[in-house]
Amino acid sequence: MEEPVDTATAILASAAVLLRERTFDDISYRALADEVGISERTIYRQYPTRAHLLAALSNWIEQTRFPLPPFVTVSDFRAAVHERFRAFDTLPAYAYVGARASAISPTLDIEPAYITRAIEAMLDVAAPTLNRRDQRRIAASLRFFSSAMFWARLRTGFDMDAGEICDAFDRAVDNVLAKLPDGTRAES
Amino acid sequence: MTGSSAVPELSGTQASILAAYAELIEELGSDDVSYRVIARRAGIAERTVFRNYPTRVDLLLATAAWIETTLFAREESHSIFDIPLAIRDAMQRYDLRPELAHVVAETAMRGVSGAAPSPDRAHLERLLDAEVPSLDAAQRRAVIAALSHLDSAGTWVTFRREFGMDRRDIADAAAWAAEAVLDSIRDRVAS
Repeated sequence: MEEPVDTATAILASAAVLLRERTFDDISYRALADEVGISERTIYRQYPTRAHLLAALSNWIEQTRFPLPPFVTVSDFRAAVHERFRAFDTLPAYAYVGARASAISPTLDIEPAYITRAIEAMLDVAAPTLNRRDQRRIAASLRFFSSAMFWARLRTGFDMDAGEICDAFDRAVDNVLAKLPDGTRAES
Repeated sequence: MTGSSAVPELSGTQASILAAYAELIEELGSDDVSYRVIARRAGIAERTVFRNYPTRVDLLLATAAWIETTLFAREESHSIFDIPLAIRDAMQRYDLRPELAHVVAETAMRGVSGAAPSPDRAHLERLLDAEVPSLDAAQRRAVIAALSHLDSAGTWVTFRREFGMDRRDIADAAAWAAEAVLDSIRDRVAS
């Protein structure tokens, strides 16, 4: 059996179990309380609104199911994102939770996601002399094309599978990086 | 409006329910609004709200679609190369109504049971096919998907949340990214 965990985490683990058979909206605090074996009040104390629950659930899923492989170079970045998109395809219900959580009005002071910082660090190395505005444009574009939102939109809106989504992602990355002026690239 | 095909015709009562709920979301957030309060704001009976929208999810999805096609409606683009301009405008509009932009962004991320995540897809395909008919299937799909992704409330949410950008920066970066996508097909227009 797994290690015993604190109440907040036990709630998230149970919510993840329930997500296998119903959507997030159909998981009531009542059903969740029954699943964990605690009172509904305890859940409200941990997660005062469903938005709090969604954000925490997404973080937990991210850490346990979709850890982002570290990357430094652009090719490692592409490989890391491909791996995530393929993982999303194996657990779509979990991936949609991540996409939704990244779209809601923030419940807490939100730190930028790890991948945002990693993309910025990657660009510092790949294009060290690039001006700040273009650097942010490129970082923001790469971040948005590598997001769970991109996967979710292409899966739902375009019926694309992970392979096709990876292809669309690669083409978008090519287009964005083609904007790098000559001479800013550190790599040969 | 480009996404109108995805949105069913609304009765006058339905439109007033959705407008009332959108107003209340801006005042109170989407969590805390009861059907009773919505009915009072719309000036109708609570049971009328229930009859039209039996569940809160039904109501929220209908409201999100209504917000996107009315408050956030794009000016019609006549060329695929005008899309970056439409995206710039859309970002500025999202920034003026942040609560509603979050609702639109989130409801589009719910999978098949949610709001349509690419309501402008057919329109983009028409423009692209008319102007740049020579693309192979994979490239065509990638261009449409990338533009559709950028022309969304998700862009505004992500650029703001992850990069702390303000209205001007978001509009700039989103339009810039769309131009980058179009760079790959700029010189392939049919004569």
